[in-house]
Amino acid sequence: MREAVIEARKLTKIYKRDEFEVRALDNCDIEIHRGEFVALMGPSGSGKSTLMHLIAAMDRATSGRIAVLGEDLAELDDAELARWRNRHIGFIFQQFNLIPVLTALENVELPLKLTSMNGKERQRQAETALKLVGLDDRLTHFPRQLSGGQEQRVAIARAIATDPDILIADEPTGNLDAQSAKDVMTMLQKLNRDFGKTIIMVTHDRHAAEYATMIRHLEKGELKPEIEYPQA
Amino acid sequence: MASIAASFCLLGVLLAIYVALFLTGDDSPAGARRLVTRNRISLTQIMPISYEAKIRQVPGVETVMAYQWFGGVYKEPKNFFARFACEPESLFKIYPEYRIPEEEKRAFQADRAGTVLGRDLANKFNIKTGDKITLKGDIFPIDLEFNVRGLFDADKNEEVMWFNIDYLWKSLPADRRDFAGTYLILAQSAEDGPAIAQQIDSLFRNAQVQTRTESESAFAASFVNFLGNVKLYLFMISAAITFTILLVCGNTVAMSVRERVREVGIMKTLGFTNGEVLGMILGEATVISLLGGFFGCVVAWLLCRGVAANAGGFANLEGMTLSPWMWVAVIAAAVVMGTAAAIVPALGASRTEIVEAMRYSG
Ligand SMILES: Nc1ncnc2c1ncn2[C@@H]1O[C@H](COP(=O)(O)OP(=O)(O)OP(=O)(O)O)[C@@H](O)[C@H]1O
Ligand SMILES: [Mg+2]
Repeated sequence: MREAVIEARKLTKIYKRDEFEVRALDNCDIEIHRGEFVALMGPSGSGKSTLMHLIAAMDRATSGRIAVLGEDLAELDDAELARWRNRHIGFIFQQFNLIPVLTALENVELPLKLTSMNGKERQRQAETALKLVGLDDRLTHFPRQLSGGQEQRVAIARAIATDPDILIADEPTGNLDAQSAKDVMTMLQKLNRDFGKTIIMVTHDRHAAEYATMIRHLEKGELKPEIEYPQA
Repeated sequence: MASIAASFCLLGVLLAIYVALFLTGDDSPAGARRLVTRNRISLTQIMPISYEAKIRQVPGVETVMAYQWFGGVYKEPKNFFARFACEPESLFKIYPEYRIPEEEKRAFQADRAGTVLGRDLANKFNIKTGDKITLKGDIFPIDLEFNVRGLFDADKNEEVMWFNIDYLWKSLPADRRDFAGTYLILAQSAEDGPAIAQQIDSLFRNAQVQTRTESESAFAASFVNFLGNVKLYLFMISAAITFTILLVCGNTVAMSVRERVREVGIMKTLGFTNGEVLGMILGEATVISLLGGFFGCVVAWLLCRGVAANAGGFANLEGMTLSPWMWVAVIAAAVVMGTAAAIVPALGASRTEIVEAMRYSG
């Protein structure tokens, strides 16, 4: 068995809104190993994004334990978590989430500003990442000058710029046309196969899920025990 | 940013007006020695010409000259500049900074209908020595025709026309002659000014027409006050504007921060800490308000130049400018206000949970 990079035990997240309590994630146990490409599926509101946020240390669990890359996330303070995210996690979102006032190159350079690299190294690294997603001819374009598919590729370049171990993708094809979606999925698959990235992806799209090595289902905050292996 | 620039532009202009009117005197050596005596009740009331001789008796007085604001219209009402009737024999003693060729000066003193003009003024209306010009009276119900006898240079206040008060008197009905609206006094030393002023005023304390004597710069300011309580207005407007600026700045900054909550979420996701995000927002607010203040100053400076060029020697306005310390003060005020206004929303934004921040669409 390969090394477990993500280990969650009885992971629970409860959102409190005034009187109401939403149990977004309920006693979830999950183990993800290095090099796996996991697709999370499930109906809207089933807690997929919530689980991703906890894995990526964007939010804290209400109870339960989560260790990522051997680090118990509950033991890090907010600033440490921020740096930890920067070093170990790459993010891809449905809304792309690029900074509109920055060019493609600057967007990709952004997470590198927190590393010890100097300006030249940052630029070279960002250019390499953009080349990898096939956008080395769009370096000085602003997000609004790019198509949705191109924006998402810039976002992928930004996610891999710091060479993180884990990529987190929340409905990466949700806003894309079929062809762009296919391109993005092919790219993620390549990152998984050729670069050994562990990928956790939320998707509603059965076709997108087929690119993963395994599919897990969430329902009402609970992780179903069945595991599908689409490529088997 | 435009709103910030506009507000600080206004602040700058007001500051410049205030300083020009109330805080700048004539700083030439003679200027500090000049005093003005006027009717205690109001600037529009006149004083008997007999006062001139009595003032001359006061110890420390070097020269006295009756002079009178004429008003009137030169060609068109918009051609506004200062026109004074004076005593030609004393004019150049009281204004030693006026530079004029000796023969022009003598020609002016010899011609009762003569006039001398500041060179700036003459250039502006293309008037030359030897020309004849006419003023249509308004305060005084007469039209006067003058022979331009000379042009003088001075350090400032050059948009002024001087002519012989005798010419004015002789043109008026007999019962309206021999008065002066104001007396201009040159003290032997600047330090004696206040004492001389006091002495003059006490000289006429029991007379029918009482006087008020003050330094030339104080007089210039009161001349403005006479048009309305400008000082108070200016102060109130400045206060209102400062208050409005606070609101505008606060609102602009708060809005721009709120618009960026999602970006804050993205930055934090990518690994920036709350402190770094806070620093960035505050830094940006500082830069924006700095630029706003700067452009406000540029516009204010242009406006001041416009006013100064068209002030026509009116009060001290032709000296109105945005001096370096005003630039610094206005820009500093902009930066302080902009940054202060940003602190609360910036703290709020930087502390927003990532998941919360990312829910902001837009
Ligand atoms: N910040 C929040 N405050 C309150 N409730 C929340 C918050 N975020 C999520 N929830 C609730 O938690 C539950 C799970 O939400 P989550 O976003 O994880 O669902 P999801 O599976 O990603 O859904 P979708 O497919 O629509 O993206 C939902 O009922 C949602 O309303
Ligand atoms: Mg979701």
